[in-house]
Amino acid sequence: MNEWIVILLRSIALFFLALILIRIMGKRQPARMNPFSFVNYAVIAIITALISLNVIKNLVLGLIALGIWVVLPIAVDFLAIKSKWVHDWVNGKATILVKDGKVMEENLIQVRYTGEELLRELRSKNAFNLADVEFAVMETTGDINVLLKSDKKPITPFDLGRKVAPQPESQTVILDGNMLNEPLSNLGLNQEWLNDQLERIGVSAANVFMGQVDGSGELYVDLFDDAMQVPKPKVKELVYANLEKARADLMSFALETKDNQAKDMYSKDAEKLKQVIEKLEPYLLR
Amino acid sequence: MTVGSKVKQTLSSLKSAKSTIEIYATQSQNEEAAHAFREATGMVKGVINDLEKRIQTLEFEEPQYKGL
Repeated sequence: MNEWIVILLRSIALFFLALILIRIMGKRQPARMNPFSFVNYAVIAIITALISLNVIKNLVLGLIALGIWVVLPIAVDFLAIKSKWVHDWVNGKATILVKDGKVMEENLIQVRYTGEELLRELRSKNAFNLADVEFAVMETTGDINVLLKSDKKPITPFDLGRKVAPQPESQTVILDGNMLNEPLSNLGLNQEWLNDQLERIGVSAANVFMGQVDGSGELYVDLFDDAMQVPKPKVKELVYANLEKARADLMSFALETKDNQAKDMYSKDAEKLKQVIEKLEPYLLR
Repeated sequence: MTVGSKVKQTLSSLKSAKSTIEIYATQSQNEEAAHAFREATGMVKGVINDLEKRIQTLEFEEPQYKGL
């Protein structure tokens, strides 16, 4: 047999074999691997290349080697799930580099980092001041993760003591002018509803590049025609303003009327509306 | 503008707010949000009932403005 045919057949077979093997080995990100996994993948790649190029003449021997380098990592991964000891032994442990705001010099030497490299990694995590860092740890993948001091952390609604409405993920219901039925039915809506909404803002589905429905059922569209302005939904703000106005009206009625019973009723209702407004504020405005 | 017509205006804006809140109560994906909207609908409904009763009294007192 001609050598080129051998290489052709081997390459085609190994292409698919490698594809399947890598799929079996899992979907961990190559960039987030620990160093040994990287070596492992490299060995698989090299063996595959060597077999494919007919450098390893004996196909069986090549496949045995390949099989070992595929099966063993999977076996070790399973063992690591079962046993903490194996896990620590295979993956190593995270190393604490900064604790209570103080750099742990011994640990830094252990992972062979200079102070400058540490600062560079901290900067890449947006911690430009060493003084802002409460805690930093090198993960087994070599990544450095940083916890900022509590007064330097980005502020959250929780810090402000404000309630915010939960925001479920949006569903994409129109792509390239086509309505997608599955996400629509996930939301409990149908094409009729969508047509109705599109008619309200005055566009046809064919003119919509992307359309999303957010958690409160509001439709947002991006049109092919960028010159066209789509009215943004402001219904929630309007409802809020309406309620506020009604409350103010009730309060002024309470002041104006001379009927004591009516005065009581108006002020009681104004109080009720105030409660409604407070309750709905996170959902209507945020 | 008479008191009666002012109250009626407030009533109608409350009614429109209530119907919009009802729509949100049904189309909210999140159970917590839907619950808050539903509760709000009930409270606004109470206020609307009060106002409707008040309008009846006002119309009785000032029959010349009835229906405005």
